[in-house]
Amino acid sequence: MATSSVAVAPIAALRGPERSQLRMALERFRAHRPAVLGVLVLSALAVLAAAAPIISPYDPDKTVLLSLYEPPSLGHPFGTDDLGRDLATRILYGGRVSLSIGLLAVSVAVTIGTLVGVTAGYYGRWIDSVLMRFVDMMYSFPRLFLLILFGVFFKGMTLPVIVIVLGLLSWMTTSRLVRATFLSLKQREFVEAARCVGASDRRIIFRHILPNALAPIIVAGTLGVAAAIITESTLSFLGLGIQPPTSSWGSMLNHATTDMNKAPWIAIFPGLFIFLAVVSINFIGDGLRDALDPRHVVRKA
Amino acid sequence: MGRYVVRRLIQALPILLAISVASFAIMKAMPGGPLAAYEGNPDFTEADRLRLEHAFGLDQPLPLQYISWLGSFVRLDWGYSFSSHQPVLALIGERLPNTLYLMGTVFVVVLLFAIPIGVMTAVKQYSVFDHVVTGTTFAFLSTPTFWLGLLLIILFGLQLRWLPLGGMQTLGAPFDLGDRLRHLILPVATIALVQMGSHVRYLRASMLETIGQDYMRTARAKGLQERVVVLRHALKNASIPLVTVIALDMPELFVGALVTEQIFGWPGMGRLFWDSATRADYPILQGILAVSSSLIVLANLVADVAYGYLDPRIRYS
Amino acid sequence: MTAGPAAVRGSAGEVHMSRLLTLAFAVALVATACTSPQTTPSASASAAPTATAAAITRGGTAIVAIWQEPSTLAPMYGNQTVLGLVINGTVEGLADTTTDGAYVPTLATRVPDVANGGVVVKGDKMDVTWDLKPGIKWSDGDPLTSADIKYTWELWLKDPKVNTRTGFDQIESIDLPTELTAVLHYKTIYAPYPLNFSSILPKHLLEKEADVSKTDYVRRPLGTGPFKITDFKAGDSITLEKNPNYRGAPERPYLDKIIFKSVPSSQVALAQLQAGEVHAMWNLTEAQTPDVEKTTGLSLQVVPGPTVERIEMNTAVNKEFTDPNSVHPVLGDIAVRKALLYATPKQQLVDKLLFGKAKPGASPVSQGWAAYREPQEGYDPAKANKALDDAGWAKGSDGIRAKGGVRASLTYTTTTGDQLRERVQQVLVDEWKAVGIEVKIQNQPSAVFLAGSCSAKDPRKLGTYDIDMYASTPSIDPHTTMLRYNSKRIPTQADCAGENYTRFKNPTADAAIEAAGATLDLEKRKASYATALKALNDAYVIIWLYDRANIDARLDALQGWQPNVWRRFTWNMQDWWMKK
Repeated sequence: MATSSVAVAPIAALRGPERSQLRMALERFRAHRPAVLGVLVLSALAVLAAAAPIISPYDPDKTVLLSLYEPPSLGHPFGTDDLGRDLATRILYGGRVSLSIGLLAVSVAVTIGTLVGVTAGYYGRWIDSVLMRFVDMMYSFPRLFLLILFGVFFKGMTLPVIVIVLGLLSWMTTSRLVRATFLSLKQREFVEAARCVGASDRRIIFRHILPNALAPIIVAGTLGVAAAIITESTLSFLGLGIQPPTSSWGSMLNHATTDMNKAPWIAIFPGLFIFLAVVSINFIGDGLRDALDPRHVVRKA
Repeated sequence: MGRYVVRRLIQALPILLAISVASFAIMKAMPGGPLAAYEGNPDFTEADRLRLEHAFGLDQPLPLQYISWLGSFVRLDWGYSFSSHQPVLALIGERLPNTLYLMGTVFVVVLLFAIPIGVMTAVKQYSVFDHVVTGTTFAFLSTPTFWLGLLLIILFGLQLRWLPLGGMQTLGAPFDLGDRLRHLILPVATIALVQMGSHVRYLRASMLETIGQDYMRTARAKGLQERVVVLRHALKNASIPLVTVIALDMPELFVGALVTEQIFGWPGMGRLFWDSATRADYPILQGILAVSSSLIVLANLVADVAYGYLDPRIRYS
Repeated sequence: MTAGPAAVRGSAGEVHMSRLLTLAFAVALVATACTSPQTTPSASASAAPTATAAAITRGGTAIVAIWQEPSTLAPMYGNQTVLGLVINGTVEGLADTTTDGAYVPTLATRVPDVANGGVVVKGDKMDVTWDLKPGIKWSDGDPLTSADIKYTWELWLKDPKVNTRTGFDQIESIDLPTELTAVLHYKTIYAPYPLNFSSILPKHLLEKEADVSKTDYVRRPLGTGPFKITDFKAGDSITLEKNPNYRGAPERPYLDKIIFKSVPSSQVALAQLQAGEVHAMWNLTEAQTPDVEKTTGLSLQVVPGPTVERIEMNTAVNKEFTDPNSVHPVLGDIAVRKALLYATPKQQLVDKLLFGKAKPGASPVSQGWAAYREPQEGYDPAKANKALDDAGWAKGSDGIRAKGGVRASLTYTTTTGDQLRERVQQVLVDEWKAVGIEVKIQNQPSAVFLAGSCSAKDPRKLGTYDIDMYASTPSIDPHTTMLRYNSKRIPTQADCAGENYTRFKNPTADAAIEAAGATLDLEKRKASYATALKALNDAYVIIWLYDRANIDARLDALQGWQPNVWRRFTWNMQDWWMKK
């Protein structure tokens, strides 16, 4: 008896402290250096955008007809635009619009996608069939063409409208992921067990199966934010998205095409910020993928 | 396999029909119309407007408008543009080759570069080359296409003046390969660089996964050269998912080229769509939507069939 | 666009390289941003500005850059400005206008009027006799005859797809006493008759066609002008070659060929002009003019045009199919309308946003024999504030005025995608806010905002707008334009045809406009229009912002341009020549 207790103690000591799943995920994320960099850059952008009124002494919308097209200088680090407004200020305020559209559009997309995926995956059979045909149809829609039709004809492309339209066109990926999870897990023993103890459908769905789908949803959602930011900026670039005087990074570039030869800074800086935000989000998504699904990490044999 | 293809094609028809009806409904539900263009003419009267509405069939009930369009459509009469009165099929036929020419070049360029680079970064994982490529690919796939296009124009067209600012060829001059190529460089670079970013990453991950497989160890244990191992065994298997990704990307290319065509003034289908959308030229819009949604459905089918063909483990009932 | 689908875990080294790369890229970008762009002078030798003594050289090809391609070249189907631009030298009419607005005969021997007996008034009808010049041929060699005039009229009335039948629908019948004479029997007194037939169509070519819109004519119309259209490459270029059957041949035209080159945007057009790749460009924006003025070897032609940009205010309630007798809660008060005008810095807009290349507006008829130029009151924000204070609009805590519980908050609509308009809007929104009126921008695409019908939901027709802004161009005869200010032309649900968008009702103006429509006496008509316009301006329902100019540019090597207020710069293509 004494020998066994002596034998147990060193093994316990060797095992090290207990770590929860979340801790392990966080550690894997932290090990992915570009992802950490992405978090830093993105947070910096978000903070700057949120604190825009504090940082900048200029009014982003007030026109100053006396200082049109000024090149970058100490007073205007990124120069002024075609109405004399400080470009850096407009980029900060524009960041609020672009970043929030990205986030909100993905929220809409994930919500719709999850609902559809859950319904198709859990209830199966003909519901699944119909919903998947619908998903196929949505996939076959030429998205940009549809966005343009909306933008050209719709009366008021305000922020909520843009968010909803973008969300409505990108929920399909989430729905497929969720459905796949549900299809594969629905037959498992733990679900049967839950049913045996009388758990309602809702409880099974939300408490038992859905958490397993969270990982791919989070990764897809993160990458979706990047895609939404790019789509919104493309729309605004074409003149169909955010309307003046509100600025988003993309709508600032819309004005840049006509002034490229006399004021290239109007073209360069807003796009640079789109690039920084998107690249950070992509890195974060990459890191999340590593963190949440360690089987995915590939290594040479 | 043949029966599978036929079954898929038949299944595709209701989807295409649904898309066509949905887009028609969206276009008609929105305010505005093709007669806005006549507004600028001070002599344009209400009588003229009613007459034109009737001539264009716009005064008929909506379902009837759609059905008569559909009826003509399947007989290859795609209607006439409201603004130019040219047959829609001919207009699309004029522009489609230009888009294909651009996209075809992009496709070839992307493959030519993405495959070797993707393979090499996987083989030399964690090397300096790998890090450089990773950084660059992430950068490019995060760049909005239109911004990249603008930057390239500013740098190479305006500042350095090495390359032309737009268009397919220098006007008036006889066909000159060098001139055509010079006009191709910037628009192709704009699209291809961004595409290559994602394709290289995809191929790299796929290669790494394949290289990690057991049968690779066996091949090496057999004493085969590394190059043979990589090219013959790994690449072929790793390329299967890449093929499907490429096939699925194809229709996106037609659509995504729209912004590039706008920036570079490329006379392709994307620009036609844009011009028609701003003028509410419904027949052209419906024709283009029909073409692009068919392409998407076709591409999906090709991707599935190719996957099944390349991977003998997959069998379609 | 999706991110790369695979995950690759990196080690410490990876971050540095990709970071370095991103940094290097950024540095390169910033470096390019901070260098100012070069304006290279044109490669060709700079011509002395007064080279009038240079001998005219024949031959050569002129390339004109257009950044909007005409969708059709048929004069009876199209409605784009660029259409008229391209066919100016091909399709001709019986008469044309000089820059002063006077009528000159083109294909006819003289412009008929009452004085020379060409026009005979019979009660409330009239007969107009046109005599064609002898010996004119179409560019395919067939002779031009009066049968072509009659055919033009018949086609215009028969083809359902023509743009407008105005004028043609006033002709009861046409007699052809000789091969060169046509007598037009109008069933009313139609004052704009000289320009009724501004495009003559070839009978011998088109009469056998069942549907002209499906022939080659829409891409390559046949005409009698100095050039013939030989090639139309969609999305690329339109080629014109000199017409050997032109009545002015062999002296005119001087050029062998003119090519209209389709370029993606006006920026590219300017860049190509500066590089010498094209010889001329159409329709510069005002913002581009400083560039051209800075570059040696380029010349600018700025011609005041009849187009007037205006801001209209809806005096009826903002709702669908608004009742013309209702009163807008904010804009119904003349003090608010006056304040909006007083707070509009027209001259500053012209100087800063239009680079001085326009004039502050005064009325819808800015050119021609009926021009009315009494200016509106100028920029005086103090006066605006006083007017509002006096009328009881008190400023609230947020700086916006209110009266009787109604807040001075309005929406401002114009077309999307027009940068100049967006800039004007933003300046005016600021100015109006400073005097306590809150204005929100709510733009719509032109296919909607200018749709021109209630069924297409044009807000001006429905009355679902507060303030709108757009441009309109009167024809030489301003009657159709002036009709817009008659109270009978207010669009309602029952009859949506009218264009009195401000819902302006004034008996003096109505009477004056109707009087002008009943006589052919130009002096009387001008006085009547002046009365109507004064009443209009006294109601403060419209702010005439600016009269835009037509701005075109060319290389100095291309000579022979002359300004014409009523026609685009290609009106005298037969006089153009290239300096070697």
